Amino acid sequence: MKQVLIYICSIIFLLLLWEVASIAINTINSSSVLPGPYEALSQVVKNGAELQRHFLASAWRLIMAILIALVAAVPLGLVIGHERSVDTFVSPMIYITYPIPQVALILFLFLIFGTGSATKVAIVAIVLFFQILVSARGAAKNITEEHLVSVLSAGANRWQVYRHVIFPATLPNILTSVRVGIGVGIAFLYIAETNTAQGLGLGSFIKRYMLFGRDRAFAGIMAMAFLGLVLYVGIDVLERILCRWKYVKR
Amino acid sequence: MIEADNLTIDYGSSERKLRAVEGVSFRLGQSESLAFIGPSGCGKTTLLFALSGLLTPSKGSVKIGKKQVAGPRRDVALILQNAGLLPWKTVWQNANLSLILSGDYPACNAQDILEELGLGNVKSRFPAELSEGMKRRVGIARALSISPSVLLMDEPLASLDTLTREKIQDLFLTLWKDRGFTLVLVTHDIEEAAFLGQEIIVLTERPACIKARVSNREVGPLDYRQSKAFDRTVKTLREELER
Repeated sequence: MKQVLIYICSIIFLLLLWEVASIAINTINSSSVLPGPYEALSQVVKNGAELQRHFLASAWRLIMAILIALVAAVPLGLVIGHERSVDTFVSPMIYITYPIPQVALILFLFLIFGTGSATKVAIVAIVLFFQILVSARGAAKNITEEHLVSVLSAGANRWQVYRHVIFPATLPNILTSVRVGIGVGIAFLYIAETNTAQGLGLGSFIKRYMLFGRDRAFAGIMAMAFLGLVLYVGIDVLERILCRWKYVKR
Repeated sequence: MIEADNLTIDYGSSERKLRAVEGVSFRLGQSESLAFIGPSGCGKTTLLFALSGLLTPSKGSVKIGKKQVAGPRRDVALILQNAGLLPWKTVWQNANLSLILSGDYPACNAQDILEELGLGNVKSRFPAELSEGMKRRVGIARALSISPSVLLMDEPLASLDTLTREKIQDLFLTLWKDRGFTLVLVTHDIEEAAFLGQEIIVLTERPACIKARVSNREVGPLDYRQSKAFDRTVKTLREELER
């Protein structure tokens, strides 16, 4: 309960800062450049139904991208982190491909998959894939030796080592990388959604109203922030369930 | 019965070879106990890992019963320095780990063992919620859950306070007498070696070679620490280590 109150206070504080910034910027420019939170919230209420469709489209894409990235990156990251021979072969490929700005791939992906949801999901999944991969690999490299010896001496086979030690030991790091990835993922989703003229998605919604109807555009930005918040809280809840051992009283 | 013949263990490549253990031989009968004692970093843990089948010796061999050890065995339990508990598993899951891995779970006797070791009321807790002494007892419960014929212990009571250490040493002694497994202990604690080892092998600095063998057949009674034989063994071990 206390944590919920702190969350609400934090959000109110942020809205106040936004209001102050809005007043200051609009006074300096003598025009309504930055809508305040009240205007934006009014637009959220007025355009609730439309915004909801865009929100759900973006949320679906982001969640799909997170799931695809997790399924692809976690097993690979754990294997290359734990198996030295695989690491020697695969790591150079990661070092070469990771620094490539993924935004440069957007046009290329549009050419392959068209301008539908698949491309938008793909670009976010690629961004998240590398974040989770690098994190899972690093965490798998730092497994406490004693934990490995513990299961090996009890007769664990290779699969059991992954199941009982490597995966649970690295899970907190993997979830942290997802948390970090959500922010980056939303940014890339916005870029991908604004690169198509039509279609559902908060990116398209924001782009459509950014020039003429800024209040509405900011309602879209608020919806995007809310999407991020929901996912962050979701990951926190998931971590509390899956990594209960981290939260016990010591 | 456990038998090591000319056990030698090297680490590293052939160009940069590091010898950890050299020419260690011993023979230990069923229900007997043996303690290895030597300076820190001399190769005691490496030696124990070879006995458990976790490491393949570069030369020599280890036999348990009449079979050569070629990997971890179902009848050999290993207790590690910090009990080796997995922080994400509960006391119950940690105690049953060997059985879970072998597929024998839940047909197990871990419940009785946990009760016997005073852990019955904490079985749903995580290791982080336990005291150091309780963690060691969970490690013991895990080892006993498979009813081992050989119990290997790698400095199992390191970093515990004196009273807790003595209590758990008493527990080891009682369990060893009651259950009749063969006990091999690695330690750098002279009194621990003297209290638990019927035979004590003193090891040299790395590479670990046998420096001396000390017979200590009076081991068994819980009040052995107060006896003259115990003091004599401690004195002999101290002299051998300083020599």
